[in-house]
Amino acid sequence: MNSNNIVDMFLEIAEKIESEKDYITELDSVLGDGDHWVNINKGYQEIVKMEDTLRGLPLSELFMKVGMSIMSVVGGSSGVLYGDAFLKASMTLKGQEAMDLQKGHEFLETALDAMMSRGKASPGDKTMIDPLFSVVKAYGDGLEKALTKQELGAAISRAAEQGMLDTKAMIAKKGRATYREDKGVGYIDAGAATMYYQLDILGKHICK
Amino acid sequence: MKKLINNPDHVVTEMLRGIEKAHPELTYHEGFEVISRKDKKTNKVGLVSGGGSGHEPAHAGYVGYGMLDAAVSGNVFASPSPDRIVKGIETANSGAGVLLIIKNYSGDIMNFEMSKDIAEMQGIEVDYVVVKDDVAVEDSTYSAGRRGIAGTVFVHKIAGAKAEMGGSLSEVKAAAEKTIQNVRSMGMAMAPCILPGVGKPGFTLGEDEVEIGMGIHGEPGVFHTNVKSAKAFAEILVEKILADYDYSDSEVAVMINGLGSTPLMELYIMYNEVESLLKEKNIKVYRSFVGNYMTALEMSGCSVSLLKLDDELKTLLDYEANTPGLKVRSL
Repeated sequence: MNSNNIVDMFLEIAEKIESEKDYITELDSVLGDGDHWVNINKGYQEIVKMEDTLRGLPLSELFMKVGMSIMSVVGGSSGVLYGDAFLKASMTLKGQEAMDLQKGHEFLETALDAMMSRGKASPGDKTMIDPLFSVVKAYGDGLEKALTKQELGAAISRAAEQGMLDTKAMIAKKGRATYREDKGVGYIDAGAATMYYQLDILGKHICK
Repeated sequence: MKKLINNPDHVVTEMLRGIEKAHPELTYHEGFEVISRKDKKTNKVGLVSGGGSGHEPAHAGYVGYGMLDAAVSGNVFASPSPDRIVKGIETANSGAGVLLIIKNYSGDIMNFEMSKDIAEMQGIEVDYVVVKDDVAVEDSTYSAGRRGIAGTVFVHKIAGAKAEMGGSLSEVKAAAEKTIQNVRSMGMAMAPCILPGVGKPGFTLGEDEVEIGMGIHGEPGVFHTNVKSAKAFAEILVEKILADYDYSDSEVAVMINGLGSTPLMELYIMYNEVESLLKEKNIKVYRSFVGNYMTALEMSGCSVSLLKLDDELKTLLDYEANTPGLKVRSL
């Protein structure tokens, strides 16, 4: 994937997130502050605004710009978690014209590590990390098995969805949901849902 | 919602413009929501704090001689982002390093830690301390571990004095850590606050209901109870603090902090009770602070903070401070 492909992917994600306002807000009103959609949507709309600038940039600079802008526009915890993840992951693409399948995995793995260490969270804590963790694992397995691009893309989308659905049964260990008596059990985490949209669309674009 | 505002989206910016105009000794860096001191020394450890807005005078009101060099504001009850905090660090840096004073909330910790990483990449030496003085609950809505509340003002005061006296970054940090180890707070709320962007209270309390241990963002506390006398509430708050840390036969600084809409009359009534209770237990008040220091918009209620003092902390507490939110004349 080159800069143009990545920007196309971001535009599709922005459209998807914008269309899920009611669902995400509903999820987040149960477990969170109710502002996750507003914040993440603001971040992606900012990316849409930067489309022309981003198309011309080398990959690592593109992701760095996305990271910086998400960090300041989204704000709060999501802003710094995504921002830091994009910034650290952008370093894996220094000097690269395009992101191949191997690099794509390295990128996501670095982003996952950044989110886990910044958020002091682990897989299973019922957060946005769960779908990402599930994808990094499936993606790695897929590379080992030398899956075709198409199979790999499908595996990524499947793992993203499963990682998101798995948060339903989890006991919340981070964020506002931890205060509920039921610890959020029975509800999908809103942050995991928006992470799923992004990774599902990545899966669809990676196999192009 | 009845509020003296123009637009809920502009409350932070317009407040900071007002602070700059009202206090010509301060500068507002618009776009970064940073308030800094004009009388910048060279080679002094810079002190930076910040967090969500809505806790005024914290933190912008504590910028000035003897306390902070810069305060960074986020939106109401939301952590400022790293680009803002980095600006605060750059502004406060005068060559001797910068200490960040962070209240223990997950969002604040993530954003301040990230800012530390970025500032260090720019070659600024940065260290930080985390204030967790609230004995009400161990883990809460927005924090892993105890929350940081009004005791933070003591940390600003003590660390600020140490920095003003020429302490090194590690010495200023040690003074801040010592304050954190020796301060405990406990609060109660009688009526909720309304976020300008939301327009209605985030929780409700019945006509006769009070929440003990509620956080400064309206996070749940320990238990609900009915309205009691000031004496009874003073006992509940002080007992919880004394059960947590050994203050016996010590000298303390006391802070009775109003949460926004509790009259000073009631805060002084609370102080009267708290002082008597401490005296009964042979705890001597060395210095007291009664007022609105760490508010929660228009929440009604108060918190009590006790800082156990030794000679070093007394000297630092008595050192001159001249900020909009706290003035101490040196003895």
